[in-house]
Amino acid sequence: MYPLLELGPLRLASGGLLLIVGVLLAHALFERLLLRRNGAELLQASGSVVYLALAAALLGGRIWFGLFHWQLYAQHLQLWYALRISDFGWGGALLGAWAVAWLYCRWKRLPSAELADAAALALPLAQACASLGLLLSGEAYGAPTELAWGIELFGTKRHPTQLLLLGAALLSALYLWWLARRAVPSGSLFRAWLGAQALSMLLIEALRGDSLLLPGGIRVNQLIGLGLLLGLIWTQPRLERALSPDPEALTAERSDQLSARS
Amino acid sequence: MSDRKRLLSLLFVALVGSVFIVATRVRPEASSIAAQTPAPIGEARPLANHLAPDFVLSDLAGQQVALSELRGKVVLVNIWATWCPPCRAELPMIEEAQRRYGERGFVVLAVNQAEERALVADFMREHGLSFPVLLDSDGAVSRLYATQALPSSFFIDRQGVIRTLYRGPLTQSVMAGVIEQLLTEGGDDVSAP
Repeated sequence: MYPLLELGPLRLASGGLLLIVGVLLAHALFERLLLRRNGAELLQASGSVVYLALAAALLGGRIWFGLFHWQLYAQHLQLWYALRISDFGWGGALLGAWAVAWLYCRWKRLPSAELADAAALALPLAQACASLGLLLSGEAYGAPTELAWGIELFGTKRHPTQLLLLGAALLSALYLWWLARRAVPSGSLFRAWLGAQALSMLLIEALRGDSLLLPGGIRVNQLIGLGLLLGLIWTQPRLERALSPDPEALTAERSDQLSARS
Repeated sequence: MSDRKRLLSLLFVALVGSVFIVATRVRPEASSIAAQTPAPIGEARPLANHLAPDFVLSDLAGQQVALSELRGKVVLVNIWATWCPPCRAELPMIEEAQRRYGERGFVVLAVNQAEERALVADFMREHGLSFPVLLDSDGAVSRLYATQALPSSFFIDRQGVIRTLYRGPLTQSVMAGVIEQLLTEGGDDVSAP
């Protein structure tokens, strides 16, 4: 475990550092993908959506964490804006970023599905870097185990949750890049990424030793994962209908979008 | 996908997912310590069922605090550092435990491992934490308690016996379970209100 990287007089938190590196790399990849898949016009039009989504992820993640530690956060208001990398909830970050990006796209009349697909291809890179950061810093640690694949952490053999998160990010990247080569409708890549998140939250969370809990020991992230999975199944027919609409209506809608953008 | 297939898929995933979530929930682990107060074994050592090694350290205000003066209370000695993420993650739980069980005779001694007083004081203030922090400036108490991993937590009963110890992060259910059990146990030399 290397929670601190000492570079001369600087003491940098390895978890936070790799998270920032991951976000920067994913942002660069997102822009390249958007340019290649959708052209310079959409890249330019997407403008500040990435920064807004990132800000919303930070805000949502902290609010989420604060709500689940309400007694402490209500008494000490400075905790809401304290620089603590570990005090963010993934569920809140995901919801916050998605909600703000979706609203921004509606407001600017941007094609949210195309933007979301490019984001889905880039996000696993950020997640892979963040997982390595978690391994170095010891965050998102697993519950104790006697199984052979356990890793030694904090003096105990634990489930290698950080490595599982890394594996999940790499697997989802492989699947998404494979899917991107197929002729799939817009929005499919993002839905596939969401499906991977849902499965990861449901399955890997079960092995974590630091989960946010509800009364009865139920893990919050597992509930979010299950809800996400059910939501994806529920909305599948609507997507199918939306993808095979009346050709005339589609042409009219496309014309509206183009005229709004111009 | 037809409506019928969609409904069946939804029901199947909801059922399997719910069973999985309930099956993998975090269970209380209060039974991880012996139900009866054991007789302390031999000399003071940082091991379960031994008397807790005594120490005297300064708190952030410069006041000397001795572990032996807290005999009669249930004490959590938590060895930590500000740079350690799992230590930071469990501090809100420790704060909550102090607030919840303090009046029943539970005391936290958060022994900071070899960091500057100002740094620790700023950290506590910034994060709104109010439990007592002792400064182990030269690491002597960390060595006395054979601390190889951070955080390390020692739950000490009213007789001054280490009843259970955790090298590594605690979970909320473990902490609550152990404290509840130790507070429930009586003691001849109880001095707590």
